[in-house]
Amino acid sequence: MAEANLIQEGFLCPICHKDLRSANNLITHFQDIHSEEKDILSSIKDIYGKVKKKILTVDDQDLEHFKNEISLQKEKYYLEYSEPQDPGPTISHTEYFKSIRRDRLDHKTAETNKLIIRLDRLLRVFAADRKQHEQELVAWLDGSTVTRCPSCASSFNITRRQHHCRLCGSIMCTSCSYFLPYEMAQTIVTPVNNGSCKEQQTSKESDSLRICYHCLDMLESRRRVQIEQVLQPIICQLYSHLQKMKSQVQGAVDMYYKIYNSLKSGETTYLLQDLQSLRNSIADKAQMIDTISKKIASVPVDPETPKAAILQNSIRKATSSFIKEELITLPPPPTPQDLEKIKNERLAKVTDDDIPISNISIKKVMVTTGWSPANVTNEATVTEEADPLLEQMNIVRSYIKQARDAQRFEEVGSLQENLNMLKEMYKKQLVKDKNT
Amino acid sequence: MNVISAIKAYIVKMTSESEPGMKILLMDKETTSVISMVYGQSEIQQKEVFLLERIDSPNFANSTGLRYLKCLVFVRPTQQNITALCNELRNPKYGAYYIYFSNIIAKADIKILAEHDEHEVVKEVQELYMDYLAVNPHLFSIGLSTCFLNLNWNPSALQRTVQGIISVLLSLKKCPVIRYQANSNVCKDLGTRIDEIISKESSLFAFSQSNNSLLLILDRRDDPITPLLNQWTYQAMVHELLTINNNRVNLSDINGIPKELSEVVLSVEQDTFYAKNIFMNYGEIGTNIKELMDQFQAKAKSHQKIESIADMKSFVESYPQFKKLSGNVTKHVTVVGELNTMVNKFNLLDMSEVEQELASQNNDHYSHLQSVKKLLNNEKIRDIDATKLVMLYALRYQNHNNNDLTGLIDLLKRRGITARFLKNIVNIIEYAGSHARQSDLFNVENAVKITKRFIKGLSGVDNVYTQHKPLLHETLEDLVKGRLRDHLYPYLGGHGSGRQQDIIVFIVGGATYEESLTVHSINRNNPNFNILLGGTTVHNSASFLQEVDQATKNVPRKHTRTIRNIQFD
Ligand SMILES: [Zn+2]
Ligand SMILES: [Zn+2]
Ligand SMILES: [Zn+2]
Repeated sequence: MAEANLIQEGFLCPICHKDLRSANNLITHFQDIHSEEKDILSSIKDIYGKVKKKILTVDDQDLEHFKNEISLQKEKYYLEYSEPQDPGPTISHTEYFKSIRRDRLDHKTAETNKLIIRLDRLLRVFAADRKQHEQELVAWLDGSTVTRCPSCASSFNITRRQHHCRLCGSIMCTSCSYFLPYEMAQTIVTPVNNGSCKEQQTSKESDSLRICYHCLDMLESRRRVQIEQVLQPIICQLYSHLQKMKSQVQGAVDMYYKIYNSLKSGETTYLLQDLQSLRNSIADKAQMIDTISKKIASVPVDPETPKAAILQNSIRKATSSFIKEELITLPPPPTPQDLEKIKNERLAKVTDDDIPISNISIKKVMVTTGWSPANVTNEATVTEEADPLLEQMNIVRSYIKQARDAQRFEEVGSLQENLNMLKEMYKKQLVKDKNT
Repeated sequence: MNVISAIKAYIVKMTSESEPGMKILLMDKETTSVISMVYGQSEIQQKEVFLLERIDSPNFANSTGLRYLKCLVFVRPTQQNITALCNELRNPKYGAYYIYFSNIIAKADIKILAEHDEHEVVKEVQELYMDYLAVNPHLFSIGLSTCFLNLNWNPSALQRTVQGIISVLLSLKKCPVIRYQANSNVCKDLGTRIDEIISKESSLFAFSQSNNSLLLILDRRDDPITPLLNQWTYQAMVHELLTINNNRVNLSDINGIPKELSEVVLSVEQDTFYAKNIFMNYGEIGTNIKELMDQFQAKAKSHQKIESIADMKSFVESYPQFKKLSGNVTKHVTVVGELNTMVNKFNLLDMSEVEQELASQNNDHYSHLQSVKKLLNNEKIRDIDATKLVMLYALRYQNHNNNDLTGLIDLLKRRGITARFLKNIVNIIEYAGSHARQSDLFNVENAVKITKRFIKGLSGVDNVYTQHKPLLHETLEDLVKGRLRDHLYPYLGGHGSGRQQDIIVFIVGGATYEESLTVHSINRNNPNFNILLGGTTVHNSASFLQEVDQATKNVPRKHTRTIRNIQFD
């Protein structure tokens, strides 16, 4: 279950968001469905090719080393690398800031809420004798002493008559009135999840509500918040996809180094093929990451917001330098011959008689990442009379195989540890049986 | 006590505290410098910061917003910035704001900001302390090109310096005792102001190891010699000849310079070659580059001859692979090449030899005068260098019976040197003549015989002189040996004693890279001590002359009336 979820998250097509479940499927899908994107694909392949070449050529490797060495033995006066240290003190003013803001905003929020409740009631009123109902819901200001429009200061007369805001009851002239279309009012009261309600400037008095600009401001700012909560631009989706992929690949890279170092020190926990399959999957992910970042760079930009173009290019640049610095610099797997040599050297060092064995308890497989092996069918196990240790070892072996196939190398590591312990115990038992 | 690590730690905190997402970093002119001293663009991008914006740019208020961006604000707590932020919050361009001030901010300002946040976009408001430029791990600058007005503090510069030092102390968690140079009012004023703030903000300065640090405040005027000399260690030399400004060196004036090298970044954080060679002698750097190229040739099985800087340049051109692998080294080939050109063109080796004699050799007035005269007749010497030489002479032999400054000035005039240059000679005496100094700047006891050091390896790059030791060297030697005299460097308020091991030395009127090297070597030789150097700025001779000119502007001539052949209009 967990396994399926993980893959699902990792291999959505960045263009149509279809779940393709593996990198290979995704590439095939690209070729079949999004043929107009072919140039992108070919450049991924290009990078992929470079990845391989870089890792495989010994000469390049040599030169990379040279770059890192830069071995100048002059050590008279040079600056040391600045070790990271704990930051100095900071003072947070956030609580104080929020308390001041709360005091001010509570008032505004209450006002806006009041308006929204009134608006909701007004919308339930039927067109017949609307005016009377409106006045029942909102008390209109007495205009008998008001001679000028409070907002534009023009004096009222026969041609410039008094009007009332249907929401707060205040007085204004026609030019200071705004007509809120019922349709829009409806979306403010009950926001639906499209948020794309269009501005309707063609509002007639019949299908709209006369309100003042002060009330309009309050409603507008509420509506803006609603829209932003609903609308998530495509670039945000692509970016969070990109970040997810990057953290996945980072995990894989860390694991790669762990296996690499383990193999290099002659341990037998992992196999050379583990390193190779992990390397392939890192390369696959590198391609995906490259593709997404290119997609981000090519999201159409509104000419009104040139900043977006800079942002998108900057993300693309940062991503390609991430790929160059983190992914292309992976050391190539050791050759089988290298490995054989390392193993023999290690064997020569280890003597058999100092195996620590007191009270070995079998460590349980810690399932921390949501992966667990499926139950092993009984066919694989030996007959009932067989040694329970042997049986257990077989089970663990089949777990290891499953874990390896699923590229769960954390688990491979701890299972392998288990298996080694079982082997030790079995060996001891044999010795004991012989002696008795 | 490493100021680069201190700043980096704060930046990491700042960028990691805000929630994940695409970010824009909003800064002012000064905080932009603070960050660019320690972080390159690609490093900051890895922290999800993809856009940078200046709050003090004229376009800021009208620029378009992107509501899906998070805005990290890192600004100084100034009135202009508060006002600009209030306007921004009233009409927010971005979805969320995380506001960090680079120094102590008043509660009243927080309140004003909060009252403008009607859209509730602010998520975080904090103050942290990085109100200074981290130049080297043990060198910081306030970034003030001048700080004096009529030979006293320019009030705004004093204010800025106090803020800068306070933030240094806080970022390093130090609450020091203060000593200052006794004869200098500017030192005493600065010390007093800092002490006041430490008392006022006592809760901020409540660090546990508070008694173990010292702030020693010195006046540039006690040693006007060091910033006048030609330099031969890499960082100091690049600054003297090409000028380092916020870690950047402008090379665009060089003929035929490729576009990507028209401005180079010299950062100890991002450039290991630079970090390793920063205190190396000019000749050794050439050798180190050659060594790198030889190593490369061994790998590439090539046999190109590298015997000069010209050879290096052609090597770089014929091996694009080398360029790719060690882009930094290529940059240094260009820089060293330019230094080499200037050294030869302006006879800087001969210049330096006489400078060093004047600055640090036994009294030998007659032969010194002859050496200076000889150089003044050399046409390759630049006018500014000739003037500096006479300034050194004027300082050294100010009160000598046979002083022939008048004769030297006449020689300068005969060279056609303009009044603008000649004025510097009067200025330097008014600024830092014997009346202004408390130390024995020309300590004959310490004088050593000039020895020429030969650096082998590259033709045309040899004879490097490193004779002079800045006055600071002696001061710090005395300090670490517990011999620094109380009446010359009293404790503020008269109290305080004991030996502090963490020492922050601050020079009002600017430090130099030569002094940075001094501090570095004293740190090396005294592992129990940890010394940090700071200054209102980091001077080379050109910026120093400008500061001296500013400081003495409109100051009536008191100590130079005898110099009759220089008249001001
Ligand atoms: Zn698709
Ligand atoms: Zn009106
Ligand atoms: Zn109203």
